[in-house]
Amino acid sequence: MLPAAGGEDEEKWLAEGIAGLQQNAFYMHRSLDSNNLRDALKYSAQMLSELRTSRLSPHKYYELYMRAFDELRKLEMFFKEETMKGCSVIDLYELVQHAGNILPRLYLLCTVGSVYIKSKEAPAKDILKDLVEMCRGIQHPVRGLFLRSYLSQISKDKLPDIGSEYEGDSDSFIDAVEFVLQNFTEMNKLWVRMQHQGPAREKEKREKERSELRDLVGKNLHVLSQIDGIDLDMYKDTVLPRVLEQVVNCKDEIAQHYLMDCIIQVFPDEYHLQTLEILLGACPQLQPTVDIMIVLSQLMDRLSIYAASSAEILPEFLQVEAFAKLSNAIGKVIDFQPEMPIVSAISLYVSLLTFTLRVHPDRLDFVDQVLGACVKKLSGRPKIEDNKATKQIVALLSAPVEKYKDIDTALKLSNFPRVMDHLDNATKKVMAVVIIQSIMKNITYISTSDKVEALFVLIQGLMKDMDGTQDEELDEEDFKEEQNSVARLIHMLYNDDPEQMLEIIRTVRDHILIGGPKRLAFTVPPLIFSALKLVRRLQVHEADEIDEDATTTPKKIFQILSQTIEALSSVPSSELALRLYLQCAETANDCDLEPVAYEFLTRAFILYEEEVADSKAQVTAIHLIIGTLQRMNAFGVENRDTLTHKATGYSAKLLKKPDQCRAVYACSHLFWVENQDGIKDGERVLLCLKRALRIANAAQQMVNVTRGSSGPATLYVEILNKYLYYFEKGNPQITSSAIEGLIELIMTEMQSDNPPSDPSTDAFLSSTMRYIQFQKQKGGVMGEKYQPIKV
Amino acid sequence: MASRRRMLLKVIILGDSGVGKTSLMNQYVNKKFSNQYKATIGADFLTKEIQFEDRLFTLQIWDTAGQERFQSLGVAFYRGADCCVLVYDVNVMKSFENLNNWREEFLIQASPSDPENFPFVVLGNKIDIDNGNSRVVSEKKARAWCASKGNIPYFETSAKEGFNVEAAFQCIAKIALKNEPEDEIYLPDTIDVAGNRQHRSSSGCGC
Repeated sequence: MLPAAGGEDEEKWLAEGIAGLQQNAFYMHRSLDSNNLRDALKYSAQMLSELRTSRLSPHKYYELYMRAFDELRKLEMFFKEETMKGCSVIDLYELVQHAGNILPRLYLLCTVGSVYIKSKEAPAKDILKDLVEMCRGIQHPVRGLFLRSYLSQISKDKLPDIGSEYEGDSDSFIDAVEFVLQNFTEMNKLWVRMQHQGPAREKEKREKERSELRDLVGKNLHVLSQIDGIDLDMYKDTVLPRVLEQVVNCKDEIAQHYLMDCIIQVFPDEYHLQTLEILLGACPQLQPTVDIMIVLSQLMDRLSIYAASSAEILPEFLQVEAFAKLSNAIGKVIDFQPEMPIVSAISLYVSLLTFTLRVHPDRLDFVDQVLGACVKKLSGRPKIEDNKATKQIVALLSAPVEKYKDIDTALKLSNFPRVMDHLDNATKKVMAVVIIQSIMKNITYISTSDKVEALFVLIQGLMKDMDGTQDEELDEEDFKEEQNSVARLIHMLYNDDPEQMLEIIRTVRDHILIGGPKRLAFTVPPLIFSALKLVRRLQVHEADEIDEDATTTPKKIFQILSQTIEALSSVPSSELALRLYLQCAETANDCDLEPVAYEFLTRAFILYEEEVADSKAQVTAIHLIIGTLQRMNAFGVENRDTLTHKATGYSAKLLKKPDQCRAVYACSHLFWVENQDGIKDGERVLLCLKRALRIANAAQQMVNVTRGSSGPATLYVEILNKYLYYFEKGNPQITSSAIEGLIELIMTEMQSDNPPSDPSTDAFLSSTMRYIQFQKQKGGVMGEKYQPIKV
Repeated sequence: MASRRRMLLKVIILGDSGVGKTSLMNQYVNKKFSNQYKATIGADFLTKEIQFEDRLFTLQIWDTAGQERFQSLGVAFYRGADCCVLVYDVNVMKSFENLNNWREEFLIQASPSDPENFPFVVLGNKIDIDNGNSRVVSEKKARAWCASKGNIPYFETSAKEGFNVEAAFQCIAKIALKNEPEDEIYLPDTIDVAGNRQHRSSSGCGC
C-alpha cells in the first residue's frame, strides 16, 4: 500500500498536495466568480485529483481531505445558486460525471447529489442509493473510506428520516437505515481488507493506520443512532443484528474490538438493556484475541450509571434479568476461550461484581454467585502468583466490603473465604488489612463468637505464621503496623450480653495464643483490657441483682486472664506481663475478690523477683506495684502486711541509693490512705520517712567519698515535701519540730556545698520554703497549724 | 470570491464527554432533544442558515467527540474555525476544570494567527438538572474564569429545555462574523505545481 516513508517525506508530499489543491482551487474560485460552470468543474476535478495520492498516512490525508472538503462547500453553494437560477440539477448530476478520473468524479457527484436531494426533484432514497452504489468504484481502502465518509457527511442531514423534510412515503426511514447500513458495511470491508494488503513486515504500520481510520467506520454507527425512525423494535430486529453480523463475520480483531465499543457507546442504554441477549450473544463469537473484558465492562459501566439515574428504571433491570444474562455471557466467554489469561477472567468478574453492587445492592446472592463463579475458575489451579491477577482478586474481594461498609454482610458470603484460599500469603495479608480498615472506619462491632471465628479465618494471614512464610523478609515496621491493627480490631469484638461477650473472649484467646511469641505482645493486652471491661460491667450489674446461676462470673474471667498472661512469659515480656497482672489485681480488688487480687499481686512479685533484672526496669516496676497496692482495699490485715512488707523490702533493695530513697518514701503512702476507711498508720509512715532520710544521708556520704564533694540535696527536699504532706493531713507523728529539724539539716547541707549547689535544687527548696510562708500567712486552721514552724 | 467565503461561518464545539455538545447543537439546529446519552464519534457538522443585518449566512457547527478514543484521525477540522465554543456541565466540576485544557489544545492545534484574541464562547449546560440543586460550578466562578481569559462571553444553557440556546448561538454567530478572515488571497505560481517547494511553509493559508 503506502511506501515506507519518513515523516519528512510525508510533510513534503502533503505540502505538494496542498499546493496543487490551492492552485486549482484558485482557478475554481475564479471560474465560480465569473459563472463559468465548465471551468469550475474542470478545476475542481483537478483539485480533487490531489486526493488520489497514495503517499500520505491517514492523518495527513485527512488534512488534505479537510481542505478539499472546505472548497467543496463553496462549490456546493454555487451549485445551489445555479439551480435557483434555473439550471437543472439533473443536468448538473449528469454533467459532473464527465470528469476524467473516477475519484474526483465521485466527490463531485456526491456534492451535486447533496444539492439534488435538497431540491427534492427526486426522492432522497433514490439519489442516496445511486450514490452509495457508485462509490463502489473506489476500492482503494484509504481513498474509499474518505470518499464514503464524505458521502456520509453530506447526506447526514438529508436522510429521509421520520420528521425530516426529506421523508418520503410511509416507511422511507427504512431507506435511510438501509443506506447507512450499506455504507457502513462497505466501509468496514474496505477497512478490514487493508489488513491483508501489502507485505507482512509492515503489519505494525498498517495497524497504526487502520487505527487512525477507525472513526470513519464508526461514524456510521453514530449516524444510525441519530436516526429518529429507529425505535426499539427496529433496533432489535434490524439494526443491531445487521451491525453485529458485520462485526462477527469480518473476523478482524481491531474491527471487532472497536465496533463493539462503538455500539455500546453510541446507542442508548435502554436499547442495550432490552437487547442484552443479542449483544452478549455476539461476544463469544468474537476473535479470541479481542479484549472482551474492556468491551463488557464498558457496557456494564454504562448500564450501572443508567440504573442509578432513576428509581423507575430498576424494575426494568429485574424484568429483563440483566444480571443473569451478563453473568451467563461472561461464563460463556470464559468457557469458550480457555486460553484467556486468568487475570482477564478475574477482571471480568470484578466488573460484573461492580455492576451488581451498583444495580442490585440488596442482592447478596448475586454477589456470592459471582464469587462462586470465580472460585470455580480458580479451583484446581496453583495459588495465584501473577501480580496483576492478585490485584484483581483484591479488587474483587474489596468491592463488597467497601460497598456494604459492614463486614457482617461480607461474612455472610459463603464464597468469600473460598476465594481468599486462592491467594498467596502476602495478598492474604493485604486483604486482611482491607477488612480491618473497613471495620475500623465504619465502626462495625462483631458481636458473636461465630462471626469472630469467621472473621479470624479471613484475617488469619495476620493472626499466625503461615506455612512457608519467611519471617525475615518482613519489615519490622510493617509487622508492628499489622499487629497494631489486629490489636485495634480486638476492641471491635463486642457484645452487650456478658455470656456472649465471654464466648467472644474465649474465641479471641484461642486464636491469639497460637499467634506465636512475636504477636502475643501486641494481641494479649487488648484482650486483657477487653475482658477487664467485661468484669467491671458485671460488677455494676451485680450491685443491682445478684444472679446466683450466672455462668459468667468475674472469677471465671480472671481464670482465663491468668492463663492468658502466663502465655506472655514465653515471649519474654515480663514487664508487660507485670503491668497486666497489676491491672487484673486492681480490677479484682474492685470486685472485692481478695484471693484473686492477692494471687495476681503474688504473680507480679514473682515476676519481679525472677524476671526483672534491669535496674531501671526494677525502679519502674516497684513504683507500679506501690501505686497499685496503695489503691487496694480488699485485703485483710494479714495479707496486706505481707504485701506491703514485700514492697517496702524490695524498695530498700534497689541498686542505687537515690532510687532506694525515693521508693521507700513512696512506700509511706501504703500506710496512709486518704479515703473513708483507709488505713492511717502514722507511726509506720514516720518509719518509712526516717528510713528514707537515712538512705539519703548515706547517698550524700557516698558522693562525698567518691567525688570529694557532696551530692545535690534534692532527696532531702523531696522528703521535706513528704513531711509537709503528712503534716497537713494530720499525721500526729509528724511534728513542727521534726520539720524544723529537717529544714535545718537541709540548710547545713546546702551551705557545706563547696561548688555552688545545683540551681534546680535551690529553686526546689526556695519554692518549698515559700509554700511554708504562704501557708503560715494564710491564716485559718492551716495557718495556725503552720505557725509553730520557725524558718 | 471574498464574499462567498464570508457567507460560511465555521464554529467548533469542544468539551468533555457527556456535557451536552451534541444536544446543544441538535436543540439549536433541529429543535430536538433526547435524554439518552449517545456518544459522538469523530467530528461532524450541521448547518443552519441565519440572517444577520439583512445578510444570509451559513453557520457550520462542528460537533466533536468528547471521548478521546473516538477522535482517531486528529483535529484537522479545526482549521479555519471562526469561533470555538467551550461547553461544560455545571453539575460536574471536572468538566469545568478541563475547559482550560480544551482551550489550550484548540489554540495549539488550530494555531490561529492571533491566539490572544481568538473568539471563544463558554456555555455552562444542564442548568435544568434537579432545579439547579446539584450544580457544583457557580455562575460567579465560571464568569471569573471567562473574565480571566480575555472576557470570553458566557451563557448558562439548558439544551433540554432550550433555555438560552438561541441567544447563545446568536452571540456565537455574531462573534464568528467579527472574526477577521485569516486567509490571504492565494496567488498561483507560474512555476509547475510539482516543484513549488515554497508552499511548504504556507500552511496557515486557507482560501
